[in-house]
Amino acid sequence: MSTNSQNSYPLPQPTGFTKKFWDACQDKVLTVYACKNCDHTFLPGGPACPQCWSPDLVSQPVSGLGTVFSFVVYQRTYHPAIPAPYVVALIELEEGPKLISNIIGCAPKDVEIGMSVRVHFETKDGFLLPRFTPLNPDNKSEG
Amino acid sequence: MQSAIIAGIGHTEFGRLPERTAFDLEVEASKRAIEDAGLTPDDVDGLITDPGPAQGILDGITPHYLALGQYLGLDPAYTGSDILGGASSIAIIQRAVLAIEAGLCSVCLCVYGDSALSTPGSYSYGRGDDAAFGLFGAVGIHALAAQRHMHKWGTRPEQLAEVAIAARKHAAQTPHAQNQRPLTLEQYLADKYIAQPLRRADCCLMSDGAAAVIVTCPDRAADLRQSPVRILGHGQASSLSTWASTDHFDTLPAARCGPQTLARAGLTPNDIDLVMLYDCFTIVVLMQLEDYGFCKKGEAGAFVEGGRIGPSGSLPVNTSGGLLAEGYGGGMLHVIEAVRQLRGVAEQRQIKTVQTALVSGHGLGMNTHATLVLGK
Ligand SMILES: [Zn+2]
Repeated sequence: MSTNSQNSYPLPQPTGFTKKFWDACQDKVLTVYACKNCDHTFLPGGPACPQCWSPDLVSQPVSGLGTVFSFVVYQRTYHPAIPAPYVVALIELEEGPKLISNIIGCAPKDVEIGMSVRVHFETKDGFLLPRFTPLNPDNKSEG
Repeated sequence: MQSAIIAGIGHTEFGRLPERTAFDLEVEASKRAIEDAGLTPDDVDGLITDPGPAQGILDGITPHYLALGQYLGLDPAYTGSDILGGASSIAIIQRAVLAIEAGLCSVCLCVYGDSALSTPGSYSYGRGDDAAFGLFGAVGIHALAAQRHMHKWGTRPEQLAEVAIAARKHAAQTPHAQNQRPLTLEQYLADKYIAQPLRRADCCLMSDGAAAVIVTCPDRAADLRQSPVRILGHGQASSLSTWASTDHFDTLPAARCGPQTLARAGLTPNDIDLVMLYDCFTIVVLMQLEDYGFCKKGEAGAFVEGGRIGPSGSLPVNTSGGLLAEGYGGGMLHVIEAVRQLRGVAEQRQIKTVQTALVSGHGLGMNTHATLVLGK
């Protein structure tokens, strides 16, 4: 509830649980959390593995490839630093975990569920955010 | 043991009420509910509350139930607040039933209230770190679900429109409804998108208002002013792992607690005369019709065609207009309308033969769900 109270870009607020993910993004590396006990991979980070509750977690780089699980085209601006229209998508990474991001590099009307995408890091106020672009220029791939 | 009963209902007006506070509205709704029951504040020994989001949930020091209890001068035997988003209103009634059945209290006041319309930004908050990608409000999450329903099942905008149009038609017969303006299919299709594929008309109202019910035990029946409405079953299910769960956007937790609650009541979907579904967005009505078993998975779009859930349809849903048109009552207005229908006092909205009603609550990022089955 605090992020939209000012006009500056609503950047992530890395905590102890999410810091490794966001720190790796600053090196343009997309990572997931992996459990050393049961090998489960997940996002977002937390105090333990949500599958076996082990606290023994590592940050694991992933391919940066995924598919669009679903998406929404915001036509109303909610934050002055993020003017509509823009595409928010739930990306299913090749390695399994899902994350919320944006689809850039194509028109909103060309985004489809199942479309193959690849991570692309973009700077906002000096902070690197993982966004996704269509893998194929014709955007016709089906996942 | 006989099931707990709803003995009193009360609510304020709903709409833009900038001169009122949430607490002031909650006190009025509480007073109306206790008077409707034919009881007095001295009879109340339970207080459970559902504070709307604009109340900041808690101010960090004084829990909502404590502040309201202080304003009402109550020293209850049992109290608390539940924070399950839109499932809270049913969750607090559920807690009241459990407390009454356990003998912890005998007359429980359950209150929802908020001043969301007069509190800027109350529903347009950024969703944690995902605000960095522009994920704001509840609408984005529900648009993700709508997009999948349309992709997977071929659901069309005209079918979402059926839900919005039916809500307005019901509201036109509800004197206190906040939005009684008729809506045509043409107007729906021309309406602006908020979070595509959801248009403004797919989104529920925001309201200032409060609503309350009195839950009590059947042995108080002789003291009551109204014929009691029985709580035949109640249930709850949640999906807290959010999108890590593979079907989070395709199936609501209603698919679990719906059949369970109906079974506890000894009923099936066919036995339900009145359906009151939490309708923060039109898509959620379609998903619930499927997940509760009123139609098959993926077929809700076709099911609602031809005005089926409207006032003269074969399965009227949300006869008072719901969150989409009556007003945002947290889910408590849904319960109150079901009670009115079961009492037979719904005036021009009255469904002829109502013996049973199913009421649902759905909350947060599609994480929580609660079900109430009521009967005469
Ligand atoms: Zn594990």
